[in-house]
Amino acid sequence: MNGKRLISLVCIGLLIAVLITACGPAASPTPVTKIETKVVEKVVTATPPPKGPVTITFWHAYNPLETETLDTKVIPAFEKAYPDIKVEAQPVPYDEFHRKLLTAMAGGTAPDLIRSDIIWVPEFAELGALVALDELMPDFNTFKGKVFPGPLSTNFWKDHYYGLPLDTNCRVLLWNKAVFEAAGISGPPKTFDEFLVACEKIKALGKDKYGFADGGTYAWAVNPWIWSNGGDVTDPQISKATGYLNGPATVAAYEFLLNLVKKEYIHPGILGGGVDTWGGFAKGEIAMVLEGPWFPPLFDQQFPDVKYGFALMPAGPGGAVSVVGGEDIVMFQQSKNKEAAAEFIRFMLTPETQLTMAEAGQMPVLSELLATDYMQKHPFYGVFLEQLKTAKARTPHPAWPKMEDILTQAGQAILRGEKSPQAALDEAAVKIDPLLASK
Amino acid sequence: MKTPRQRRETTTAYLFMLPGLLFFTIFMIYPLLKALQMSLYQWSIMPGRPSQFVGLSNYAQAFEDPVFWIALRNTVLYTLVTVPGQMILAMLVALLLNYIRSGRVLFRTIYYLPVITSWVIVSILFKYLFQSPGGLINYLLTDVLHLIAAPIAWLRNPTTAMVPIMSLGIWKGIGWSMVIFLAALQTIPGELYEAAAIDGASRWQRFWHLTLPLVRPTVVFVLVMLVIGGFNVFISVYLITAGGPMKQTEVILSYMYHQAFDFLEFGYGAALSYMLAAIILVLSFLQIRFLRRPVELY
Repeated sequence: MNGKRLISLVCIGLLIAVLITACGPAASPTPVTKIETKVVEKVVTATPPPKGPVTITFWHAYNPLETETLDTKVIPAFEKAYPDIKVEAQPVPYDEFHRKLLTAMAGGTAPDLIRSDIIWVPEFAELGALVALDELMPDFNTFKGKVFPGPLSTNFWKDHYYGLPLDTNCRVLLWNKAVFEAAGISGPPKTFDEFLVACEKIKALGKDKYGFADGGTYAWAVNPWIWSNGGDVTDPQISKATGYLNGPATVAAYEFLLNLVKKEYIHPGILGGGVDTWGGFAKGEIAMVLEGPWFPPLFDQQFPDVKYGFALMPAGPGGAVSVVGGEDIVMFQQSKNKEAAAEFIRFMLTPETQLTMAEAGQMPVLSELLATDYMQKHPFYGVFLEQLKTAKARTPHPAWPKMEDILTQAGQAILRGEKSPQAALDEAAVKIDPLLASK
Repeated sequence: MKTPRQRRETTTAYLFMLPGLLFFTIFMIYPLLKALQMSLYQWSIMPGRPSQFVGLSNYAQAFEDPVFWIALRNTVLYTLVTVPGQMILAMLVALLLNYIRSGRVLFRTIYYLPVITSWVIVSILFKYLFQSPGGLINYLLTDVLHLIAAPIAWLRNPTTAMVPIMSLGIWKGIGWSMVIFLAALQTIPGELYEAAAIDGASRWQRFWHLTLPLVRPTVVFVLVMLVIGGFNVFISVYLITAGGPMKQTEVILSYMYHQAFDFLEFGYGAALSYMLAAIILVLSFLQIRFLRRPVELY
């Protein structure tokens, strides 16, 4: 075959490919696509109840201990109660979860259910990927009345509830008792000022001793300091960042953190490159960390000899305000077994399942459990429940990933001393404002 | 004119090629064209949701995006450092292996080992080696060799954060070039060296005037391949620094990945990857056009 023939063959191939592309799912807004959307909506309300055995998929980012509890206790119990439904649970590392879901959604292979970070729900709902559970489940209001209102609100987006809370958490201050004793500090710091004094005493123990550590300048890490200092990221209506993110209280919070970095009270890992906070905390190189309720069961398994205590976030002018975390269970439009998936949601919210998962460090979301002996006498859930009373959620908005990126970069510029807190936050607010206005 | 028999043979040939061609069309050509289409849209990832045609504005956006220029600069820098680094070290190893009489297979295997290791595993390994304070590299430099007084914050500093990425690229790539160089070296007839030695050529002169011109086509081939590879650097950056600190170590592919999979900007991501493809195409063409010459003997 000569060269010209090869070229013409390739051209024909390309042409065929172009035709295939042109005939494929159209990208431009044509009437065809609109009809498709309607069909999808119809499917939501009219799935027949499961006949015969069906399999539902459930993706989650539970830690190893929680995964073990799910796989060996919760799912077997569910499958026993519902013999016609098989649950295929797939653990996905948290850092890859968001990306993996997007790929799956685009490819039409999203799982039936996921345990979603509360912060992703508005984004996925806005994409049209989630089923409005208040439409699908006739008994939705029963559950709505049973769960804590705060975590429930993270499922709400534009007139509908797209999920139900599965677990809740927030960060509280953990302090290494041995280090505190060595530094001659009597107890955990209750205020920003006491925090500073404690850090100073811990630094006096040695150059490689750090009062505090965190993994970066993302919202999960910095927002507790912003809120406790009386600042905020946006206005309460989530319509603008200007005046809040660059307001005096937020600026002062970053100045407080900058001072900690300059004096090396915070482990430099906050500037990137990663820091093993758990290992450092266990070895006594890091005296204080902010952690959630998943920490004790897993940490105690690895480092059974380390003694540590729990305390509320140190209080600033704005009070002792931490960041709310937790997960919601949400269902995807692409699910083919919506009724079966709904049964699994109901099962995950029974008091029994909630208590089983609580053993592994997953804080229950059912109000009725608060009065039980289990919760009342629990070694550490009490401090988390106390902290939850004032804890705040990160901005529920579809553009959150972009907002958080801007926030993180601004935090880096500040803590590295490349920009003044005011200048960096002014810039960030200007970038975030249009994101809030666009949707 | 072709005889019927010839025509039949041609048909048979096409039939044999068909599976390969189909595979190539479905898994290479189709995604390529799909990405080209995406790059012209404000692409919506949900099937059935309309995407908005935006023309070339995704491409225009890149030119005004400061991070794109940082990513491009880092990609070029990575290529400029790792390609010569790999080639010089690989040539050195290949010459040594060509010279030694025994143990050639053993050493060739040892030098080739990094090539077959997983990018993911060695990237994470390098990230730990370069931790600060407390990483092995810092320990060696401060406590063992006493070269520096205080540990270097490799991954926290935009300038030093490229060091682990580039050293990984060089370390992992040497073996591949070495094997190809070695194969080329072994084709050079020994008489040429004897003749040169009789003429009084020094070892360096023999390398410069004899070996190098003779393996020139191989060197050009390796150069072109490594430049393509250099511009495609991704896994090491993504895993070691994730583009940080402050996006100062983003390369084009990692930036594209963040845009598409973190911010759902699939159109912009596709445009970025097309710009990278265009750069590689032009560079490869120029290299082949100007560097590939027939082997000259003199």
